[in-house]
Amino acid sequence: MIGTFNYLLPLFYFSLVWTYGKAFFADKPWAKHAKTPILICTILFHLLALVMRTIVFRHPPVTSIFEIFTVLACSISITYFIIELRSQRKETGYFILNIAFFFQLASSLFIKSTSEVPEILRSPLFGIHVSSALLGYAAITIAGAYSFMYLMLYHEMKAIQFGVIYKKLPTLETLERMTFTAVILAFLLLSAAILFGFIWLNRAIADPNYFDPKLIGTILIWTMYGFLVITRMFYGWKGRKVMILSIAGFLISLFSMTIINIFFSRFHKFY
Amino acid sequence: MNLLCVGISHHTAPLDVRERLWFSSEETRRTLPLLRSLGTGECVLFSTCNRTEVYVLTENNIVPSEEIKKILIAQKSAQGKVQPSDLFTLTAGEAARHLFRVSAGIDSMVLGDVQILAQVKEGFSLANELGTAGFFMNRLFQLAFRAGKRARTETEIGDGAVSVSYAAVELAEKIFDDLQKKAALVIGAGETADLTATHLRGKEIGKLLITNRTQERAEQLAAKVQGVVIPFENWFDTLLEVDILISSVEVNRYVLTASDIQRILKHRGNKTLFVVDIGVPRNIDPEIKNIENVFLYDLDNLHLMVEENLQKRQTEIPKVEAIITEILAELTHWYSSLEVNPTITALTQFMENIRREELAKNINRFDPKDRELVELVTKRIINKIVHAPIVNLKSGKEISLGDRLQKMSAIQKLFGLTGPHKEDSDAE
Repeated sequence: MIGTFNYLLPLFYFSLVWTYGKAFFADKPWAKHAKTPILICTILFHLLALVMRTIVFRHPPVTSIFEIFTVLACSISITYFIIELRSQRKETGYFILNIAFFFQLASSLFIKSTSEVPEILRSPLFGIHVSSALLGYAAITIAGAYSFMYLMLYHEMKAIQFGVIYKKLPTLETLERMTFTAVILAFLLLSAAILFGFIWLNRAIADPNYFDPKLIGTILIWTMYGFLVITRMFYGWKGRKVMILSIAGFLISLFSMTIINIFFSRFHKFY
Repeated sequence: MNLLCVGISHHTAPLDVRERLWFSSEETRRTLPLLRSLGTGECVLFSTCNRTEVYVLTENNIVPSEEIKKILIAQKSAQGKVQPSDLFTLTAGEAARHLFRVSAGIDSMVLGDVQILAQVKEGFSLANELGTAGFFMNRLFQLAFRAGKRARTETEIGDGAVSVSYAAVELAEKIFDDLQKKAALVIGAGETADLTATHLRGKEIGKLLITNRTQERAEQLAAKVQGVVIPFENWFDTLLEVDILISSVEVNRYVLTASDIQRILKHRGNKTLFVVDIGVPRNIDPEIKNIENVFLYDLDNLHLMVEENLQKRQTEIPKVEAIITEILAELTHWYSSLEVNPTITALTQFMENIRREELAKNINRFDPKDRELVELVTKRIINKIVHAPIVNLKSGKEISLGDRLQKMSAIQKLFGLTGPHKEDSDAE
């Protein structure tokens, strides 16, 4: 049954992205009507899949990178759904949900089915650490997506090309505001993740290595987002450069979550 | 009966002729009663900057178009200046189709014009107020409003700016969230500067600063758009606070260079600056478009944008025509359902069906020898019931056509002789 969920989830996400794409690029009326209901169905199905996985394997799906990917895909979809509900702007969904689709596809392809979980991962502190880190990464992803949209619109307007991007995306100011809101959230959530991570680390591991590449990477990302928050709030940094930094932050986070976690980290992998 | 449209537009006459037949609402009030006497009492007249049109419902197929033309010309004392041949005449379905095309904005000089629907509504409102728009015109114009509304919501016929001044404002709206929180500086007080400032005011720009070499002209424009006049020698200092800069002055050298902007940006805290150069020769150094967070557009860019928008609107025409054909079919269906004879036949048939059904259910209760009599009596009852409505429907001479149509519609609705009419939600 878990296998079926695994196959079906990427299909759900594919149909979701395809519908949002049809609405954005081809202006299909059916797609405009269907996209939000499909998003709700995908989120509900994904939540059901996560609950079923937790029951079957007797642990929350946060113990391996590919389990984390599926939770991240779900977090991104839920966060985007809240943004869509609050702002009533549905044009940005295609770009954000594409990232959720990517995470889910990677997860479905490589996730392992196992009930074996190291004892140290059963701590409540670990739960808080992982939850805040995941939500932080979802915020980073969304900030990256909005920054990407900002840059696309910025370049289209600078190049005096008034195509579909110009026509469909919200204003530059809106995209900038959404990016910054996501950046603040990412910074706060990463701060919480690092704080609880350190407390948990000292309790769970006898002689932790504070120079673990994963740890250094996370601190770097946190510093970068802190820098973005400070420069924006106190020095009024705005526009293209800030957006490039936000995208760089997202790419570094992705690198940290995948390459560093898999190949370089010593204690920060549990499978 | 027939629908007749007589009018003048940019397709049939030049501006100096058209303007002579422009009717104010007061003149329309005076003219409608005269037009009413020609037809059946149902007529609507509306005037816009590019057209004046009269819609009349006539009693028979004799078309009094020449009389209508004479009345219009005489009412404006334009004899000799406007010839009857400057006006066009359309009848029946073509007249209705024309009204729908006008309402949808595809007959306008500026394709997809959004103002026209409001002007048609205004004309209809006036006719309604004067009692010259009856049952038929009501239906016709409600459908016209629906055509206009659907064209705007279901197609992109009205999308994108089609004037340089509006294109500038539209671009600003793609950068800034809320123009009410923004400040704009307009350098110059010529026609394009005036139009752009007016559009900005229309978008409720937060602060509108006006500067011009001739202070008096700046003051005139500022009074018109509720702006604030800045002395010409001081405008550069305002760049620290403005978000939008519109420049339209005659100069021999740039009023703003890239190094000026670089210097100013340091003190603006990286705030985005949107610059529109609508001057000829150009007022702003084109190099500034390479500066980050500065957006510069010149006349050529804006013309290109307008041209692209017009082309896009052209491609939407078939979609609008399809909507119009659909609505025209609805009008035709409704109109043909109001013919007298089919209505009488439907009414008699309806009664006869009831009689037969009831008789079939209850005939066995009667003695066989009385059954023929029952048949006869029930037939007589039915005939007597339908007699009065039939006489009423057929005697149309003493009442207006509109009233007769209304009666037929009422009978059809009361007895459910036709399917339910789709009521319009576009009513004013």
